[in-house]
Amino acid sequence: MKKETQKLNQLNNALDKKLSKANNEVLTDIICYLRVANISEYHQEVVRHDLLEMVLSAQERNDDIQTVIGEDYKVFCDDVIASLPPKTPKEKLYELLDIVCLSTSILGTITLAMASETYALIKDTISGSPKDFQLSLSIFEVCAYFAIIIGAYILVQVILGKSLEHKAETKHHILKAFIKGASFMALLLLLAWIGKKTLFTVNIIVMLLIVISSYWIHKLLSNAY
Amino acid sequence: MIPSQMLKGTLEGCILKVISHQETYGYEISQALQTYGFSNISEGTIYPILLRLEKNALITAQHRTSPLGPKRKYFSISQTGQVELETFLSNWQELKTAVDTLFSDRGDPK
Repeated sequence: MKKETQKLNQLNNALDKKLSKANNEVLTDIICYLRVANISEYHQEVVRHDLLEMVLSAQERNDDIQTVIGEDYKVFCDDVIASLPPKTPKEKLYELLDIVCLSTSILGTITLAMASETYALIKDTISGSPKDFQLSLSIFEVCAYFAIIIGAYILVQVILGKSLEHKAETKHHILKAFIKGASFMALLLLLAWIGKKTLFTVNIIVMLLIVISSYWIHKLLSNAY
Repeated sequence: MIPSQMLKGTLEGCILKVISHQETYGYEISQALQTYGFSNISEGTIYPILLRLEKNALITAQHRTSPLGPKRKYFSISQTGQVELETFLSNWQELKTAVDTLFSDRGDPK
């Protein structure tokens, strides 16, 4: 997150605390909807700030949020989104890269932490035995990596994108998305389970360097946009 | 109440006109519009239009401390906005004349 955006985010978080419970619930749904819209993170925070100012002023006047925003929050949000510049291709690319890098660093750490080869290497280092740095990655693990990233991305988009729909409808959509996402992941994992063969081996040190550099790129990217 | 479809094309020019009077903020604009007979114009209706006007550099915004509650975003009209306002007025007068002429005609053959 850019410094300017980060500053605005902190200011908004502080203003959030002044909201009444009812106003906070509605604004949270609105912000969730804006989070997955095709607008930059900076514009999301600008709109959040403007809305907080509007709603807090209304709170002072004892007006409810419907008086300020109107009855249909989704129409309001769609109007706001349409009035703002869409994400540039560069911003979209950065966002995609950021997701891939962060996921790689997290999933890579889990893979390293759960691999028997890591423990064998530690044991050999302590005992002074010859060390084997090779880590085997199966088709299952490679497929799981893609399935987890794609599945999680779809789930977040669906849940946040439906945040302004009626609760019953939202539950229905989330359930549908969950079934679709889970079936997709289950199918991939099943196919991968069948092929538990080693797809390739990688040096543990190289893997560790990939994890660290992915996290570092993620940090760089999040400061850049 | 004026139907929203009818308001759509004109509200932008009307908001620009209110801002041209003096530096003002969202809630004050909605109140001003109501005194001119635009009923039921909430801040939520105005906000996306203000964003659009700002994006097109027709107005400029500045955050200022308010005596009550949090800071407010005050809007003022820009040079480009003044030109746009004049264009809006001439377009509106042309439309108004056309509609008035049509409705004053009793349908007699020309």
